[in-house]
Order: sequence, then structure tokens, then C-alpha cells
Amino acid sequence: MGVTCVAQVPVAEGKSVQQTVELLTRKLELLGAEKQGTFCVDCETYHTAASTISSQGQTGKLMYVMHNSEYPLSCFGLFENGPCLIADANFDILMVKLKGFFQNAKANKIESRGTRYQYCDFLVKVGTVTMGPSARGISVEVEYCPCVVANDCWNLLMEFMQSFMGNHTPGIPSVFGTKHDSTYSPGDTMVQYMELFNKIRKQQQVPVAGIR
Amino acid sequence: MAEGVLSPGVNLEAFSQAIAAIQALRSSVTRVFDCLKDGMRNKETLEGREKGFVAAFQESLHSVSRDLGELERLSNLVGKPSENHPLHNSGLLSLDPVQDKTPLYSQLLQAYKWSNKLQYHAGLASGLLNQQSLKRSANQMGVSAKRRPKAQPTTLVLPPQYVDDVINRIDRMFPEMSIQLSRPNGTSAMLLVTLGKVLKVIVVMRSLFIDRTIVKGYSENVYTEDGKLDIWSKSNYQVFQKVTDHATTALLHYQLPQMPDVVVRSFMTWLRSYIKLFQAPCQRCGKFLQDGLPPTWRDFRTLEAFHDTCRQ
Ligand SMILES: [Zn+2]
Repeated sequence: MGVTCVAQVPVAEGKSVQQTVELLTRKLELLGAEKQGTFCVDCETYHTAASTISSQGQTGKLMYVMHNSEYPLSCFGLFENGPCLIADANFDILMVKLKGFFQNAKANKIESRGTRYQYCDFLVKVGTVTMGPSARGISVEVEYCPCVVANDCWNLLMEFMQSFMGNHTPGIPSVFGTKHDSTYSPGDTMVQYMELFNKIRKQQQVPVAGIR
Repeated sequence: MAEGVLSPGVNLEAFSQAIAAIQALRSSVTRVFDCLKDGMRNKETLEGREKGFVAAFQESLHSVSRDLGELERLSNLVGKPSENHPLHNSGLLSLDPVQDKTPLYSQLLQAYKWSNKLQYHAGLASGLLNQQSLKRSANQMGVSAKRRPKAQPTTLVLPPQYVDDVINRIDRMFPEMSIQLSRPNGTSAMLLVTLGKVLKVIVVMRSLFIDRTIVKGYSENVYTEDGKLDIWSKSNYQVFQKVTDHATTALLHYQLPQMPDVVVRSFMTWLRSYIKLFQAPCQRCGKFLQDGLPPTWRDFRTLEAFHDTCRQ
């Protein structure tokens, strides 16, 4: 487990999501990266059920339940700006039992699927983000495996990302800011995916608002 | 062949007799305890019972002392084979019956003699060179030479306590570096050096000489399944495999046969510069990465960071 940066890459002008993904992966292969199977990160949204909202008189918090194929035995429960819980995979069954308190917003299920690449000590995952039937964006995850302190290797990570993402290289992830010298954990990666998914969901809402 | 090796010290005939004597001694000792366990047997009078018991007990004790005497006599005939081996257990290699095919033992003896001779000559040469040294670096040398007027001819036999002290002093010198010393295999020390949250180094010592180092990631496992330090397997990450190679080069570079403690200290000082392994750009090309690797080389003198291909 190393230090990871998750970023969104915009769809290239005049290209489809699929074509942009192919452009990215071709650059990686030219660099010398080797294909190593596939990956998947998914995220389900839970609303706090109506009964609990009225009794406490506050708007319901959203809870996200996520999975990552890199950690097949774990399940991640996250609140926005809140704690990240790492549980066993059967946490999903528990959520079904708690449906009186948390209701699954099934239409909000979002996931990123794609190919996993290895280059030297880096792991790169280029994924297509889909919500329901439609592709909505592209995610790029870059992990530098030998290092455990996020701020130690940020410059190095950035230089690597520049080599295949060019001017779409992201800024420093907000989770790095709070880490200081502590050890980076898988939960930090899931927070980044949650933020990315939230951003992509909002991007989809913009044109809807424009029509009105 | 085996007999030929054994025969100067060992009488095989006496050996097998001695084994039989041990068996006899064991059974007579067992009889003593059996007799004690059974106690007094049923006899008509109390006096008769006591007499019978004492007689039986006496007889079994006698047979113990007789068997013991026999064993002692035989053990003098057997001789002392194992203590003659100068190389301790490796001397057992000489028992290999197919000497012609695997001449390991004679090669080992040759290598041992050769390395001893080399050590001795290197010591003499170094002493001479120190006396004749040029003024450029002579001051430093002179001072330490005075402090240690006569360096030991062979530093392979330093007391463990001295090694502990040297390592402890180095441990206290660098706050971001922690050194754990253990001796799982006899007198040779093994160190587990943890450098910040960057890397771990396993250092295998022979007296105060560093024999082998393996560099691994901070998050990597450095123990085998039975909880011992794993001195054989390499790191899973290319960056630490490269640093391991450079550390091995550094061991060859830092050499000062008269002052092994200075060598260990220099090596650790050099190693400490890897605290910025992921943070320091290359001093030549200014970049962080080359072929996917950060600058893994540290200059022996200036401790500056370079890519493997950017040094020189
Ligand atoms: Zn360079």
C-alpha cells in the first residue's frame, strides 16, 4: 500500500469517453507500462430515512458505501467530510437490515471500471465512470507503492502524472493536506473517489438546470 | 575415506563398545529405581523384609557403579574427535565420503587460510601506509592513530560488548534513525535499521564488519514466518532493490581495516541521506524520475542525490 492520487480527466474535444480512455492508455503503453488485469470501484448512496430526519429536525446526511477491487475483502462506509469506516465485505448486508434508518438511493449508484497498469513501482488505473447506463467521465488513479507518507512523494507523483496526463495533471488532493507526516491509508483513496464521484454527479446536473 | 579422517583420534571399536556400555548403565540405573519403587517385598518377618530389600538395593547400586566404571574406561579409548576441528561444525564437511567429487572441505580450509593471510597482510600494509601518509589527510590520521597506538591485527574478534557500544553510540547520533540489535545466530550481530517512514535496512555483521545489507520499504515485512529477521529475500519494489545494490557498493567503498567503527559510522551517515529518497530531485538533471525511479544514488562524499545514470 503506497500513496495514491485520484483525478478526473476531461473528455478530449471531439472525442468520446471511450476514445479518450484509449488515448490515455496508449500513452501509458508507450511509456512502458504493462497491463495487469482490470479494476472496479463502486459507490452507493444512502439517505438518512425520513423518520429520523423529522425527529431530529435536520436535513439528512448522505452516507456512501463503497467497494474497491484492490481490497476485495473490505467495504468502506463514508460520510461527506466525515469519518471513513473500513468494514468487512458483509457490511452491505448490515445496511439492508438498517433500511429503517438508511435508504439506498439506487439511481445514484456510480462506478469506475477499467484497466490496471504497472510501470516500475507505480500502479495506474484508468477507468470509465458510469452512472446507470451512460458513461459520464474518466478517472485516473496513480499509486506510488514504495512510499507511505503522502507529502513525501507528491512532487514525484506529479512529475509522473505529467508524463502521460500533460496539462490535465491535477493539483495536490485535499486529503494530502490533512495527513502531514502520518501514514497514507486505503481509506484516503476512497475519500478521493467519493469526491470525484460527487463532482461528476454535479457536472451532470448542470445542463439539467440550464434547460430550466 | 571417512575412517581415514576419524582414525587419528577415534577408535571405532571402542566407540561401539562405549555405546553398549551406555545402554547397560541405563538399564542398571532403571533397576535401582525399580527396586526403590517396589519397596519391601512380602516376607514372613519384618527383619527378613528389611534384609531382602537392603540386599537387593545394594546389588543394583553395585551394578551401576560397575557399568559406570566400564563406560569411563571405554570413553578414554574413544578419544576426542570434534574439538580438533578448527572450523567447528564446518569440520564435519570433511566426513563427506565422496571427497573427490565434492572437495568442499579442502577448499574451505584453503579459503580460510587465504582470508586470514590477506587480513594479516592488509593490516600490516595499512599500518605502514598510515606512517608514510601524505600531509593532506595525515592530521586526522595522526590523531586517531595516537588514540589507538596499536590497532588489533585482526578485528574479527572484538568482544560483543564493544560492538554493542559502537552501535548504541551511532543509534543516539541520528534521531530519525533507529537501530535494533539482535544476535539470533551466536555472536554475530544483526541490525534492523528503520529510517524515518522511508525504509528499513537489515544489516548482517561479522564482528564490526558489515557483511550484507538488504534495503526494504517501510511497509514491507522484514521477518520470516518464524519471527526471525529475513536476511535473504529482496524488496518487492524496484526502488529499494536499486538502493540495496548501492548500499552493497557503499560497503566496498567505506573501508578502513584498522578502524571498523569509523566504517560503520560512515556507512550509517551515508544511509541516513536516504531520508529524502522520495523528496530530493536529482542534482544533475533536476528531475525526480528517470525510468520510473527516483534518484537512488547518494554520493559517498557529498551525500547528494543522483539518478543511477546521472552520477559520475
Ligand atoms: Zn538525474
